[in-house]
Amino acid sequence: MPGSIGLETSKVSRIALSGRDFRGVNFELLCQPGDEVQAGAVLMRDARRPAIQFVAPVAGSIASIERGARRKLISLQIDVDESAGVVRYQPPETQERDSLREFMLASGAWSSLRTRPFGNIPHPDAEPAAILVTALDAEPLAPEPQPVIEAFSEEFHAAVNALAGISAAPLYVCQAPGQALTPGGSSKLRYVSFSKGYSAGLPGVHINALCPIGFGGGEAWHIGYQEVIALGHLLLHGSPWLQRIVSIGGNAVKNPRSLCVYPGSAVSELLADELHDGPIAILSGSTVYGRKLAEGEAFLAAGQRQITVQRDVVGEARAETGVLVPGDALEELAPPGIYAVPLLRALQVGDAERARELGALELVEEDLAPLSLACQSGCDYGVLLRAVLDQLESLR
Amino acid sequence: MAAWYKQATSRRRIFNLQLLALMPVGIAALFNTGYQYLRVLAENPALESGDIRGRIARGLGASYQHPGIVDMLAAGLAHLLPILVLALITGGVWERIIANRRQRPMESGFILIALLFTLLLPGAVAFSHVVFGMSFAILVGKAIFGGEGKTFLSPALLGIAIVQVSFPGSAGQHPLWQGLTGYGGSEAFALFHRGGEAALNAADINLWSAFIGNTPGPMGTTSVLAVLLGALLLLVTRIISWRLLVAQIFGLAVFVTLFNMSGAESGVGAMTIHWHLLLGSFLFGAVFLACDPVASCCTNPGRWIQGFVIAALVVLIRVANSTHPDAVIPALLLASIMAPLIDHAVIAINIRRRSRRHV
Repeated sequence: MPGSIGLETSKVSRIALSGRDFRGVNFELLCQPGDEVQAGAVLMRDARRPAIQFVAPVAGSIASIERGARRKLISLQIDVDESAGVVRYQPPETQERDSLREFMLASGAWSSLRTRPFGNIPHPDAEPAAILVTALDAEPLAPEPQPVIEAFSEEFHAAVNALAGISAAPLYVCQAPGQALTPGGSSKLRYVSFSKGYSAGLPGVHINALCPIGFGGGEAWHIGYQEVIALGHLLLHGSPWLQRIVSIGGNAVKNPRSLCVYPGSAVSELLADELHDGPIAILSGSTVYGRKLAEGEAFLAAGQRQITVQRDVVGEARAETGVLVPGDALEELAPPGIYAVPLLRALQVGDAERARELGALELVEEDLAPLSLACQSGCDYGVLLRAVLDQLESLR
Repeated sequence: MAAWYKQATSRRRIFNLQLLALMPVGIAALFNTGYQYLRVLAENPALESGDIRGRIARGLGASYQHPGIVDMLAAGLAHLLPILVLALITGGVWERIIANRRQRPMESGFILIALLFTLLLPGAVAFSHVVFGMSFAILVGKAIFGGEGKTFLSPALLGIAIVQVSFPGSAGQHPLWQGLTGYGGSEAFALFHRGGEAALNAADINLWSAFIGNTPGPMGTTSVLAVLLGALLLLVTRIISWRLLVAQIFGLAVFVTLFNMSGAESGVGAMTIHWHLLLGSFLFGAVFLACDPVASCCTNPGRWIQGFVIAALVVLIRVANSTHPDAVIPALLLASIMAPLIDHAVIAINIRRRSRRHV
């Protein structure tokens, strides 16, 4: 039911599943270029954890499978053709842990869960210490979650109750203050509100506040509100949700607004006729936490909610001194409760132990994006953090 | 719109802003140094010095009879400029040598260090001491740690400290200095130490003249007004931490009040808070030396603690040690050395608190 929340729909002709959105997965392909696939059909699974499956977000035919170094999957592209139909999944009859998990795994919804630490897809048998639903978005120009959740409130609440059922852990719904998601259902549900700054919508911030992660092996899972709605759609209607709400904004965009699009839409098609002339930089995400799109990243990432296009400032070279100069700005951009300068210093020297003590396990690249921009050293702390996380992951 | 294009404030921009923030202090230093020199000469023309500063002042036509603005400016230039140029040359030569040996481009930070160092010196400083202090600042304060941003002390602070401890009483051969206290700080403070407010009144020092900086002392540190202007710029551009600055001033008020209440009848123990702020180089040090982002605490609780430590040390040394009447330089040095320790403790507490909540 595209457009049911009154937003303009932008249909692209090509979409993709991008390998980089699913860290640590060794994809085993179950389809070939040219195959006709229905929306929701299983395309790939994780070779090491075959229960984790990846399904076609939209119906169509497989256009190409792009691979990079060491045959790593870069993207699986699909030419959209909605007439190919939709796979129906039988919703679970009971709200028991095992049947819910089985349903999520079979329908591909499991792959939208992420763990902290490390940002992986959780193991099908793992038990989290908490599950967090990110139902707010505090970044500039992001789509407002509240109207979306209201428009799909049945799906949202069905999915939240199901998520509460997949483990014994509490389920936190993180929302903006005043956003009255009515509590109800499972006794494991907790409604928490976050405010203060652009970082209020980051799962890293929520996890830091609600269940800091140590080295004891505990992990927290998180999932975005649109993925929750997608799960709810599967639960209530048995078919995948064929849309995502994405905003396009930034000073190079003629008409900034929110759009209803296919998951994984080609960014160039979405932005056709939308931009002013001149040099631009396309960011995946907002101006604060966004990342400049690299060559070959032409599709919306899993869970991405906005595209920002800025006029590129030509000729203004970054001052890169290699030296971290402490300052209030770094502290304010760091997730609350984390000491920015000591953490960044630990990352710079690759001190995994100290970084862990200072909260690195609660973070992934996106949490440190603004710090990389604000620090005059020119370090990419996201890359340094990932190096430390890889080290910690191998020790775990 | 937020951060993506509001990228790192470049090193160059910070450098320019810091220089700009020192400009009011520099201008106040020019006028006050000239004024003090000419005032002393007017009282006792025989003291006119024969060194290059005195000759330049004479050459520029600075007259001590009814001196006007131009006379003060000329005499001020004659004192400040040779010292600054000498400090710049010393720093520049060392930087050049180090850059050559390390095969790296020359760093520009020595300009700021030279300016800060000069402003902390009395107008009558011996030139050899300038070269000594500046060399120490660049080599020991900066180069051996790897250069800009990698130091743990403010190089200018280290330079001035080494001059103070190496030549404790030797700056008295010049009319500007009159052998009051050596490099150890403010004459106005020494006056108070000896005779309380009465001595200040006798030397024509009142609240207003102390505020605008019309008192004898190190060239750049006397004018509270000029320091406040610079501080405003640094705070608005967020180069310095407001927490550290507020902690120092608030801490000073707390500790001075404690000493006042402890019943001291005379001397600095009975000195009230406004004189503590107006005389000496406390505010200059608090803004330009203590708040050096590289050489101070890097956690917010640490900044509050460091500010209080500085204030406590300043008050304690001022009250207890009459040979160091100003006390700001040794206090800042000690607090700066303690900063990593304070951070270490703050971080350790943070880690312990986190580990208790871990899943």
